[in-house]
Amino acid sequence: MEKANTDADTAEVLIDCRSVWKVFGERNAEAIRAITERGLTKKEILQQYNCVVGVSDATLQVRRGEIFCIMGLSGSGKSTLIRLLNRLIEPSLGQVMVKGQDIATLDAAALRRMRARHIGMVFQSVALLPQRTVLENAAFGLEVQGVGKDERNRAAQAALAKVGLADWTARYPSELSGGMQQRVGLARALTSDPEIILMDEPFSALDPLIRRQLQDEFRQLTKDLGKSAVFITHDLDEAIRIGDRIAIMKDGVIIQTGTAEEIVMNPADQYVADFVAGISRLHLVKAHSVMIPPGEWAGAPEGLPCCPPEADIDTLIATIAGSDRDAVAIVEGDAVVGIVTIRNLLSGVRGDAAAVPAAAA
Amino acid sequence: MEMSALIAGFDETVDNALFWLGDHAAFLFDFFRLVLEGLYDGALWLLELPPFYVVALLAGLLGWRVVGRGFGLGVALALLACAAMGLWLETMSTLALVVAASIIALAISLPLGVLAGLMPRLDRALVPVLDLIQTLPPYIYLLPAIALLGYGPATALVATVIVAMPPAIRLTALGIRQTPREFIELGQATGVTPLQMFWKIRLPFAVPSIMAGINQSLMMAFGMVVIAGIVGSGGLGETIYGAIRTLDIATSIDASIAIVILTMMLDRLTQGAARPRNGART
Repeated sequence: MEKANTDADTAEVLIDCRSVWKVFGERNAEAIRAITERGLTKKEILQQYNCVVGVSDATLQVRRGEIFCIMGLSGSGKSTLIRLLNRLIEPSLGQVMVKGQDIATLDAAALRRMRARHIGMVFQSVALLPQRTVLENAAFGLEVQGVGKDERNRAAQAALAKVGLADWTARYPSELSGGMQQRVGLARALTSDPEIILMDEPFSALDPLIRRQLQDEFRQLTKDLGKSAVFITHDLDEAIRIGDRIAIMKDGVIIQTGTAEEIVMNPADQYVADFVAGISRLHLVKAHSVMIPPGEWAGAPEGLPCCPPEADIDTLIATIAGSDRDAVAIVEGDAVVGIVTIRNLLSGVRGDAAAVPAAAA
Repeated sequence: MEMSALIAGFDETVDNALFWLGDHAAFLFDFFRLVLEGLYDGALWLLELPPFYVVALLAGLLGWRVVGRGFGLGVALALLACAAMGLWLETMSTLALVVAASIIALAISLPLGVLAGLMPRLDRALVPVLDLIQTLPPYIYLLPAIALLGYGPATALVATVIVAMPPAIRLTALGIRQTPREFIELGQATGVTPLQMFWKIRLPFAVPSIMAGINQSLMMAFGMVVIAGIVGSGGLGETIYGAIRTLDIATSIDASIAIVILTMMLDRLTQGAARPRNGART
């Protein structure tokens, strides 16, 4: 799993979510005023105004080509947050900019155009129209946009081929398994060729084997097509598998945003730490996080087996085990940028951030 | 005593209002009568145009296509039995009455039901009216109708239409209202216009409920069309009414059998048409 976060920092920001709040309840206007003026907490808002804070001060940026995962348990506000991104839910406070446009300012027609052309969505419930064939379902987005039948069917056929369902076009959704239905859901979102795909727990209802398969296919497809995606999940493993970056939500608040490695190595608080405790570091932690500067190593780097800085712990262990030396030289270009000893590797596997020296590079 | 005076005054006002309508809006009701009888005559003309065995054959074919072979055969034989009982003209006349009444009732109740499904306030206003229509004994509707439209099929039609409308309105509104939430969300996220939301999402999900409403309306219409025999509707209703007056048990049973045949035929046909086809399951 190579993660292309090198250009993620410089690529164009597609979704810019700035301090967005969502408060549910009849007295939400008063509640919002109380939050901004008096800084009441979520609990106080519930007690005093009988309002539920769904999303609290959420800020995130999704860049072109990036898969951004939002991970949280049920009730953490992740489903509300993703619906704020295409204004299925109106924010109580704050701004959501999509492609540089504040979507709160769009009129009904402009919002429809934005959703139809630029933001696809895939649902946990799949929501395939039961009266329509697979092809007609996949073509739905273009049909709504008024695209002619031949053209939209061709696009739908192509999208279905991408998800491996080219032979199923004439079937009805009820004839398909859960995993296949969700592929149709993905194809439907791809047919309109949007830049952004919002995935609302799409694989949560599937059995583990199918889920893993779809996760890998989804990531591959999204990268191949150059799409950006916001992916909601309650499963940290899934977030790590799929996401370039992960935001962890709890009680409506984004607690931490970062790459899987950053979150596992430096959890922001005890909640995140508990969450990542069971995650295997073998494929997450990379050489550049555990290596020490060449000068701090007593031995001579000559003759050591070599690895690039992106090599994960699993690769490093295999490399050391396959040689007669106790360390690996981390090489970038022609230069040795660091050394990883067996001691470094063991600390890395434990994920004990304090024991691992900060990345030297 | 004041109370009974009040009620007598109310009754008098209602009577006067009816008389006033009869005197001053006669042209309007004559026009209604013309339209209603025209519709009924048209339907009857169409049904009596071919000989009875052709009608039985066509109905049998329709039954075969829509429901199944056994049902189609049964329909054809049952209609032939109606002819054999010497009730062919009455049977067709009743069918014409039900068809005409249902067309009018559905032309009003389907759009009204859709609007009620989309507008909760209209729905709240309609529900007590529909409750009232369905609780009053159906005979009641014959009286004002006969005062304004006179003795004959037009009166029977109006009363039948009133009785047939509520189930179609209720079930249409219900079907439109209960579109699953995730599909509403799908529509919104896909960027559908309000019209597309109705035609492409709400309506397809409402079809089974609407078809059940149409079926129920037809059944109500059959019930009423017999009662309307009292006001000279013609057809089997009048045959039964006449048989009751002369205690002619055999004829009343024959006519009842013919009614049952018609009712079952239209019930199964509309249910068959409502079944989802081409493997689509909900």
